Amino acid sequence: MKENLRQCFDFISSLKLTIFLLAASLVLVFAGTIAQVHLGVDEVQKQYFQSMWVWCPVGSQGLRIPIYPGGHLLGAILLVNLVSAHLRRFRWTWRKLGIHFIHAGLVIMLAGGLFTDLFSVESYTRLGPGEAKNYSEDSRKTELAVIDESNKDYDQVTAIPDAILRKGGTIEHASLPFRIVVGHFYDNSQVTMMDQPGAGQPAATQGIGAQVSVSPLPVAASQESDNVVSAVIEIVPQPQPGEATAMPLGSWLVSEALGAPQQFAYGGRTWRLELRPRRYYTPYTLTLQKFTHQRYAGTDIAKNYASLVTLIDPSRSENRDVLIYMNHPLRYRGETFYQSGFDKNDTATILQSVHNPTFLAPYVACAIVGAGLLLQFALQYGGFSRRHKSAPASC
Amino acid sequence: MARNVEPLAIHASRSTKRGTRVAAVLKNYPPFQIARWGLPAAAFATLATLAAIDLSGCKKEEGIIVYRVSKAAPETTASGSAAPEAPEASAMPSMSAPGDQSAQAVAPATADQPAQVTGSAPADWLPQPLSAMRQASYVVKGDNGASADISLVILDGPAGGTLDNVNRWLSQLGQAGMDQDKLSKTAQHVAAPLGDVTLVDLEGLPSGGDATKDGRIVGGIVTTADRTVFFKMHGNAALTESQKVPFIQWVASVRLDPSAAAAAAPAAAQSAAIPPAIAPSGNNAQIQWQVPDGWKSAPATSMRYATFNTSGQTGAAADVSVVMLDGEGGGDLQNVNRWRGQLGLDPVTDEDLKSLVVPVKAKDGGLLTVDMSGPTSRLLAGWTRVDGKSWFFKLTGPESAAGAEKEKFIKFLESIQFHP
Repeated sequence: MKENLRQCFDFISSLKLTIFLLAASLVLVFAGTIAQVHLGVDEVQKQYFQSMWVWCPVGSQGLRIPIYPGGHLLGAILLVNLVSAHLRRFRWTWRKLGIHFIHAGLVIMLAGGLFTDLFSVESYTRLGPGEAKNYSEDSRKTELAVIDESNKDYDQVTAIPDAILRKGGTIEHASLPFRIVVGHFYDNSQVTMMDQPGAGQPAATQGIGAQVSVSPLPVAASQESDNVVSAVIEIVPQPQPGEATAMPLGSWLVSEALGAPQQFAYGGRTWRLELRPRRYYTPYTLTLQKFTHQRYAGTDIAKNYASLVTLIDPSRSENRDVLIYMNHPLRYRGETFYQSGFDKNDTATILQSVHNPTFLAPYVACAIVGAGLLLQFALQYGGFSRRHKSAPASC
Repeated sequence: MARNVEPLAIHASRSTKRGTRVAAVLKNYPPFQIARWGLPAAAFATLATLAAIDLSGCKKEEGIIVYRVSKAAPETTASGSAAPEAPEASAMPSMSAPGDQSAQAVAPATADQPAQVTGSAPADWLPQPLSAMRQASYVVKGDNGASADISLVILDGPAGGTLDNVNRWLSQLGQAGMDQDKLSKTAQHVAAPLGDVTLVDLEGLPSGGDATKDGRIVGGIVTTADRTVFFKMHGNAALTESQKVPFIQWVASVRLDPSAAAAAAPAAAQSAAIPPAIAPSGNNAQIQWQVPDGWKSAPATSMRYATFNTSGQTGAAADVSVVMLDGEGGGDLQNVNRWRGQLGLDPVTDEDLKSLVVPVKAKDGGLLTVDMSGPTSRLLAGWTRVDGKSWFFKLTGPESAAGAEKEKFIKFLESIQFHP
């Protein structure tokens, strides 16, 4: 038994396993890169790198089998391998101090990569000239915003994420005096006016939904293709005491294809329904003052993008202009705004906003690994130098 | 040959012995243990997190969130237009009342030290919803769709300085910046209660700008000991020109509340009363009171005319609310019994109520008060009816906090002036 354990420990702490895992990681990255052609970046991230296994569908019954270890599994085994090697070979001598530093740096890097994967949030802020926004939008997630606009000073927003809508069923929340029953949810869809060829049944009974039909489309994988998310929902009042159910007010179509939100009145208040990219509000505002797109002379090749924005944060009395351009992001209150793209004939800017609580981990890890390498080199060089001096000169 | 080897052997032996001694000494010390077990512990924690998250899939679970968003347009510049409301904001700033050359009070702006502002705005300036940034906001309309936006913003500290802010305004008009010399030559100065206001008049239409609402900025900046106050009128060039004199008159009339004005004008600090306020609903009610030391003002809400938080020496906090209702606001017995219900007490009869009520004399009227204690909390309340409106002043909190604040609460009631 003890011998088996020792053999097992030898295996997980072996350098051969390290080499195998690194090679397997290379293969995974290669396969993932190739798969992006058909699946798109987001799907590949989920299926290849943010999973324990890469699964392959078998047949048409929804059966799947694991065919290759995913990024999380390879990373986890690599971490175990690294720690086991550390335990197995740990010796407290000054000569090994650099090695310990390198191991510690690698652990921080692996752990940081994992936490970044789990907790970072990416979103985008699209600003036209002079436009101000205090929120960014997630390009991969949508939400149903149920907005009570009866107060003259503010709108109260109940934001229901697409993950909940996708499950269907009935949605209840304390902020809503009614229930929302999700009839259909489409990750990608086509909305057709009823008087157009190919139109089917009206999508809903109320609002614009009564004049259009909606049909599902396959989910587009590439980055350039925009999926049009749509849903048909029913508004049902809360039943009165003694009532089993209440009569629904009707059904509404909410869709990213619709140019205007849907409205209805209930309980003496006016409500608005909007299906939109998920919003992340911030306590500060960015206003685009000027967007610059420079090209190399005589070509359409971009030389530089730059956005001059005004940052206003009442809670911190911040009021300053910031120039965001390539490799010079704005870092503020845990968010990093990168110059990402442009729109509308070079007049609008697209800023990518990244919220990553562990963004320092790679920097710290690299610094520790670098210090460890330098230290180890210095120690080795010192020993070599002493031996060299002590050795007699050959005749 | 032996002579050649010996020194190396000796060196190695000494080194090994020293290393052994060091290891023997160090291995019982915490850093050694951390070095040995720190990595495995960190790795274990990482793996445990990985397993938990992968197994439960909790990263993908996102819930329904509720937040409020101001209807005011987002702020485009610090002294340019309306500011955003953070989603976590639970209470919105009050609306300013229609201006009719009357004094106005508006909601606090800076997060840690709210500022109340009064000033005489022309009648044709249309009040706009306020925001966390703006302490005053108006729009004035002209002919052919022309408009100008007028704002007052207070920021802590120098807020970038006068020159930088003037240059930012110039950049908004698509104009090149100026240096300190040019600013000194072109700027005017207005003597105002807040101090010497540096006034600039800037003209220019940015590329793609809308001439009906852009083309000129008349702005004023005054820096006090700890704040910078921005006045700004930005809009159609001709309209802004025609409104320049009223704008300067307004700038010259603006005052801050005593706590803010203390930094700007020592004379203003002599008054400890909050300036006349206009009800959030737009009623022309005016009221003054003396805020006791230690009470901290909190933003008003749609229900509350004013809110104060207390935090006494015991550490327990009490909540003070001021509510104004049109009409009778319910009968005295009904209100007292409602409060008793909140405290977990049995209702009283009309006869019992007479023994509970204690009158308190305010500066220009009287209030009725009660002091009631329940099993877990205590409530002090005062109320009166003036000019067809009912005013309710209520302090609630744990027994210790309410008891400690009772004397201040009574003084607060005694300081109230409904017709200042």
